[in-house]
Amino acid sequence: MSSSSLTLPASGQAAGRNRRLLEILGGASIAATYVYLVLAQPTDLTNGLSSGSTLLALSGFLLGAVLLIAGVLPTVPTSTLVLIPVALVLNIVLGQFIGSTLVPFYLDSVGTVLIAVLAGPAAGAATGALSGIVWSLFNPTVLPFAAGAALIGFLAGLAARYGLFRRFYLAPVAGFVTGIFAGVFSAPIAAFVYGGTSGIATGAVVSAFRAMGDSLLSAITKQALLSDPMDKAIVFSVVALLVYALPRRTTLQFPFIRRHRVLAGAKTS
Amino acid sequence: MLPDSPAGPGGLNPLTLLSAAVVIAVTTTAINSWAVSAAVLLLLATLLALNGLGRKVLPAAAVIMVPFWLSLLLTHGLFFHEGRTILWTAGPVRVTAEGLQFAAGMGLRTAVFVVVCLAFSFSVRPADLMALLTKYRFPPQLGFVLCSTLTIAPAVSGRARRIAQAQQSRGLVTGQGAGGRLRAVQQQAVPLVMALLHEAGSRADSLEARGFGGRGPRTSYREVPDSPAQRIIRWLAVAALAVFLMLWFGPGWFTPGGVR
Repeated sequence: MSSSSLTLPASGQAAGRNRRLLEILGGASIAATYVYLVLAQPTDLTNGLSSGSTLLALSGFLLGAVLLIAGVLPTVPTSTLVLIPVALVLNIVLGQFIGSTLVPFYLDSVGTVLIAVLAGPAAGAATGALSGIVWSLFNPTVLPFAAGAALIGFLAGLAARYGLFRRFYLAPVAGFVTGIFAGVFSAPIAAFVYGGTSGIATGAVVSAFRAMGDSLLSAITKQALLSDPMDKAIVFSVVALLVYALPRRTTLQFPFIRRHRVLAGAKTS
Repeated sequence: MLPDSPAGPGGLNPLTLLSAAVVIAVTTTAINSWAVSAAVLLLLATLLALNGLGRKVLPAAAVIMVPFWLSLLLTHGLFFHEGRTILWTAGPVRVTAEGLQFAAGMGLRTAVFVVVCLAFSFSVRPADLMALLTKYRFPPQLGFVLCSTLTIAPAVSGRARRIAQAQQSRGLVTGQGAGGRLRAVQQQAVPLVMALLHEAGSRADSLEARGFGGRGPRTSYREVPDSPAQRIIRWLAVAALAVFLMLWFGPGWFTPGGVR
């Protein structure tokens, strides 16, 4: 796999600064939208909230995801870029299949985590955001979760960067922790945009918490904290199994794996 | 969006369709009334049926919306303890008029969003979208990822089927408890992912050899239908939406309930 063109001029420093700026603005847009949704909104979702918060959540998270993609994608080497469509297909196929079953999990981030482990946090974040946007062409309800998917890709990349995929038993732990962040992040989106969850199984869990007297946001957060950590622990374990099943020749083609010794036994270059 | 989707209805530019979809979805969400959402949904269904897109869009929307509606009904229809008008009660279950109204409002509002997005997806060709992204100087990588995902999906499912057949011909038997199933999944998933990674590697070499990693401007030989009238309509639609949102959310005098 080649990584960059030998014949065409490399981009200048100004372009690099612009991309960094786009990444920062994307992250800031996502963070600001989240903080606003959590802090500035009344806890009673049923009285008067809805439309303004929904539009704000949709536009803020979408803008952030698009800026992240615009900032990161041009820096991704072609060898990694060609893997992103494969990752997106894995996400969409598994996500659609699991979403149609009565299991309160998602398994829609296997491809994102795979790219994050092979190519790093930035590529993972861009893959997550792209996954949400491309999947929304078939299932528009996933669009507001694109920013959350970017967070999962980023955290998976960080876990790989700091060696949590070097020991097999650490991968599900990293997944579990990532799932806590993902759950806390996605709950306000589900609450403010949809007023609930899109699956019957997850809806049943939310209604169980509602029956116990929880507010809607609290019930959805608890459901997310039940589903997401387990879901991500499974996803991280599956990805660990996959990357260790791949031939060493294939995984060592990725500079991120070589540079940060992501996998056990992989020698640094 | 499918690789062989027909051209946009009446030769419409994808941006015109996108601006129409955004205007409809944002306006319905801002108004946030189940009656308005139901009326818009009915209008959209009629328009799509007349256009011939209804047969594709409406079943696809139903597949997404039926579980979502059931989930909302379960959450708000049965356990809406903020509701005051109780219609039926049994143990912890309490069906209230407010809960049903909230579920209907959210369900219909989301249905409009899903139908307009799917109508856009089913009316736009990936090649047109890629030409537009090139025209407006978006990163070429975005167009590649978008179109590549849409075109490799059938190839991936075909390869997965062939791998499953190959493993079955080697004696793989599925359906013997959870462990057996897991082993069967692993024996199919690992070769599939390996094959996909290998193919992606050779695709990267081919793309690099054709200057894909270059930073210069790109030229698209594809002409996407557009007209001055459509450009004016797009700008007018976006401007009207901005004015509507300012009036709707801005000054309290416009709406009886004040700021929403």
